[in-house]
Amino acid sequence: MRYKSQSVAYWYFAVAMVLFGLQLVFGLLSATKYLGPDPLLYILPFDVTKVIHTNLLIVWVLTGFMGATYWLIPDESRTELHSVKLAYIQLILWTLMGVTAIIGYLFRYGTGNKLLEQPLPHKLVIVVCMLIFIYNIGMTIRKSGRFTTTEGVLLLGIVSSAVLFVPALLHYENYTVSIFYRWWTIHLWVEGVWMMIMGAFLAYLLIRLSGADREVMEKWLYVIVGLVFLAGILGTAHHYYWVGVPYYWLPIGGFFSALEPLAIVGMAMYAYGAMRRAGLSHPNVLALHWTLGSTIFTLFGAGLLGLAHTWPSINKWTHGTLITAMHGHAAFYGAYAMITLAMISYALPSLTHGRPEKGSSIGYWSFWLQLGGMFGMTISFATAGIGQVYLERIMGMGYLDAQLKIQIHFVMLIICGSIFATGVGLFIFDFFRYRPRFEVTEPEVRDNEVAVGRVV
Amino acid sequence: MNNRQARIFAWGSTIAAAVLFLGLTLDSHRQFPELTNADTITPQVTHGKDVWHKYNCINCHTLFGEGAYYAPDLTKITQHRGEAYLQAYMRDPSAFYDEQTHRRLMPQQNLSEEEITDLIQFLDWVANVDNQDWPPRPILVTGGFTAVAGSGGAGQAAEVQSGSTSVGVRPVDADDDIRALGENVFRTAVPGCVACHSLTPGADGAGPSLAGVATRAELLVGEANYSGQASDIEGYLRESILEPSAHLSTGGMYSANGVSFMPDTYGNSLSEEQIEQLVAFLATLK
Repeated sequence: MRYKSQSVAYWYFAVAMVLFGLQLVFGLLSATKYLGPDPLLYILPFDVTKVIHTNLLIVWVLTGFMGATYWLIPDESRTELHSVKLAYIQLILWTLMGVTAIIGYLFRYGTGNKLLEQPLPHKLVIVVCMLIFIYNIGMTIRKSGRFTTTEGVLLLGIVSSAVLFVPALLHYENYTVSIFYRWWTIHLWVEGVWMMIMGAFLAYLLIRLSGADREVMEKWLYVIVGLVFLAGILGTAHHYYWVGVPYYWLPIGGFFSALEPLAIVGMAMYAYGAMRRAGLSHPNVLALHWTLGSTIFTLFGAGLLGLAHTWPSINKWTHGTLITAMHGHAAFYGAYAMITLAMISYALPSLTHGRPEKGSSIGYWSFWLQLGGMFGMTISFATAGIGQVYLERIMGMGYLDAQLKIQIHFVMLIICGSIFATGVGLFIFDFFRYRPRFEVTEPEVRDNEVAVGRVV
Repeated sequence: MNNRQARIFAWGSTIAAAVLFLGLTLDSHRQFPELTNADTITPQVTHGKDVWHKYNCINCHTLFGEGAYYAPDLTKITQHRGEAYLQAYMRDPSAFYDEQTHRRLMPQQNLSEEEITDLIQFLDWVANVDNQDWPPRPILVTGGFTAVAGSGGAGQAAEVQSGSTSVGVRPVDADDDIRALGENVFRTAVPGCVACHSLTPGADGAGPSLAGVATRAELLVGEANYSGQASDIEGYLRESILEPSAHLSTGGMYSANGVSFMPDTYGNSLSEEQIEQLVAFLATLK
């Protein structure tokens, strides 16, 4: 840690960790309901556990993004943050918003609009937090006078995220129109501007971990951003299948979302290429695992599994089945959970006392258990989804009867989910077992003895 | 590629994609009113939508295939189930499904009668939105499988009709036997007969099994409490198709308030010839 104000990141990460853990509690609870009968039918029915599960995901990942940004900006701009106080106010407001929203959901206080369930007061607090955030980062960069491409991409990603939240604040009389604009927020976040945030984190991590040339890395970052938007913006059309919009969205969605993996392949090649060319120049091999792991898992979850059901003539049969859950879990985890965990793993040794720079064995156990668990969960959803599509959609078996036939995959889901949760539990334990450090420690340059033999 | 070209590529492709996207959005707005029958969005429909949101329905069910995947898709539910059924269901789901059997059950929502009526109005609006004919084949809540697999009638291996949305239906020609034509109507009519009725004895779905319906019809028309107009098997079957509520003999699972849950739309959606064929087929089910 070169700048004292970077330590605000610790508290953002700490909140993110707690919410991540809570997300899994509600995820596992939801999974057991697939086996049924449900003893909590009138206490915590599926709709409540599910809405909390998805909302916690959005909140903790965004908390992680904010923390990671507050960590990254001083490093890139070589200055202290504009206002540490504002950063803490933002965190407190944000956490209060998240926690009260979750408590509200327990009592069905929400809009009931998929993924945008936050009640209007909460949505307004989100806007306020975003404005504070953008102001604080903007002022930091402005005062320093140093504005790197990595920061540019990150800032553009954050500002666009805020702008794209605006359609979510509006009210639509027509249900189809409300679906149309839901995806302006959700799709353009996860397959557009969040990819920029991910790309910026990736560039930051690769430049530092591999010592790759900044000039080259930032050039390719532009290419990736271009590819993301070329495919991602019009790729929104794959959410417009069968919802009551004009026909032409079908071929457009098919074509452009088939292009979406290009950017993801680009990112994986980018990371791999950087490591091949520049080697490892930093002792934090655990952060490297998360960084490369993120690009590879994104390629699998977002790229391959997205492509698997994005073509209209296939999606016609798989739309609205567990196939979507398969893609959703792997894509979100690979792209956004893992890149956040990579940033946390990179920053943590200097944010805490006594933590070994190269990572602990608990850290590696956590990495592999999470990866294995999530892979298994994805395969469980996939096999359940394939069974569902054939029995229910092709053979014409009733929904409830088909669900009974695929129970074994739900058993597998719960087992793999438990393995995943164990991995996350270890990560959280590893996070909190060293006490935080708030003083500046100019990192000494070490030779890369530790790196030998542990490069992926 | 140098740094400048990379930057031009990034901005160029972003702007091009965004402009095209915004243009198509404008055109979509031009088409929304017609595609979604916006003129039929009455205050009841809007209130029904609010009810849908208020009770967080989308975090179990799907609508237009969007939502959670824990409960059946409801896009076309009002075409499968009549209003009387949906009302009775919404009052108490456990009267229709057993948690021990299906391992899940919808919790009772305690909706007011007005909420129920308006929610059904909303779902009916959804069912009529032009969504490129999705789903390609009806998504059923229960049953269906045994009937589609073919357990009566022609009994031949089913072939896939090209371009048809009804895989598992034997293709027919106009000069086929009238009963074979009737079975085809049975399997392809919209709303689908097979969606609710199986031909397997005892395998009741959303409607009673039609195994042995001809025999039952013969007995029913002779009974003293028969309330319809028919005097023979064919007449009874025809009456049941056109006016499902004319005589109710199957109990509370299939009717409420003296109204059958079966759609009463077949008089309009089927031709006279098709009804004749269907009756001829059903009359073979001794």
